[in-house]
Amino acid sequence: MERAVTRKVFRTESHPGDSRRLAKDVVDYLAAFLDDGDVLHDLDIILTEACANVCRHAYGGQPGPLEVRLAVSPGSWIELEIVDWGKGFGDDVRFENPGPDAEGGRGLYIMRMLANDCQVRRENGENVVFIHKDIGAPRWKT
Amino acid sequence: MENLTIKRLGGALLLKYAGEITLEMTADLKRRLEAELGEGDGEVRAVIIDLSAVPFMDSSGIGFLVSCNTRMKSTGKAFYLYQLSPAVEKTLGLVQLLSFFSVLPDETALTGVCE
Repeated sequence: MERAVTRKVFRTESHPGDSRRLAKDVVDYLAAFLDDGDVLHDLDIILTEACANVCRHAYGGQPGPLEVRLAVSPGSWIELEIVDWGKGFGDDVRFENPGPDAEGGRGLYIMRMLANDCQVRRENGENVVFIHKDIGAPRWKT
Repeated sequence: MENLTIKRLGGALLLKYAGEITLEMTADLKRRLEAELGEGDGEVRAVIIDLSAVPFMDSSGIGFLVSCNTRMKSTGKAFYLYQLSPAVEKTLGLVQLLSFFSVLPDETALTGVCE
């Protein structure tokens, strides 16, 4: 039987250091649920990429509010919403892997590779990167 | 950046950074490398980046490595990666860049390019 979903919200200002720390805080919290370093590393990369995007693009390079909404269904899946209130992605949403010489533009591709579902939405003034990752039962702490 | 060591080995410059390579670090790393390339006595023929002590790297780190590679190759010089940590190997693998970079597999290969 699926256990109850645990929800938690993490917040910070989108300075580079604080954004990285926010990603780490979420991963540290998830380490209480998960027994698999590789999955935690996947989630660390996803969160770091999403938070770095907010840092670089959301508020024109200035810091602004950044929130991670976490939902955990132990034994089954994790969902993340990385939220900002800045200018949004607009038409600049690229999930493809750019050419090898490109210096940037790999963030969303990496997130999509490491998740089962990755969506970019704008709703009620919020820019949301939604992530769903299925995680098999043996990788969870009991 | 006390976690950064830069050594001159023959005609090569060996950079080793111990720590995470993320958005927070890449601008500094780039600046340090530029400074080193600008001021060294004698010509630098190759840059080697030792990634053995990097427990985490994100796409900004990938961008840093790509820009170093482009900079060196555009002036006819060589760029190598050396001793990838498991985290770095995973990240570069995800974006299919493991075979794009020249990776030195061991110390013999390192010595070979430093002559």
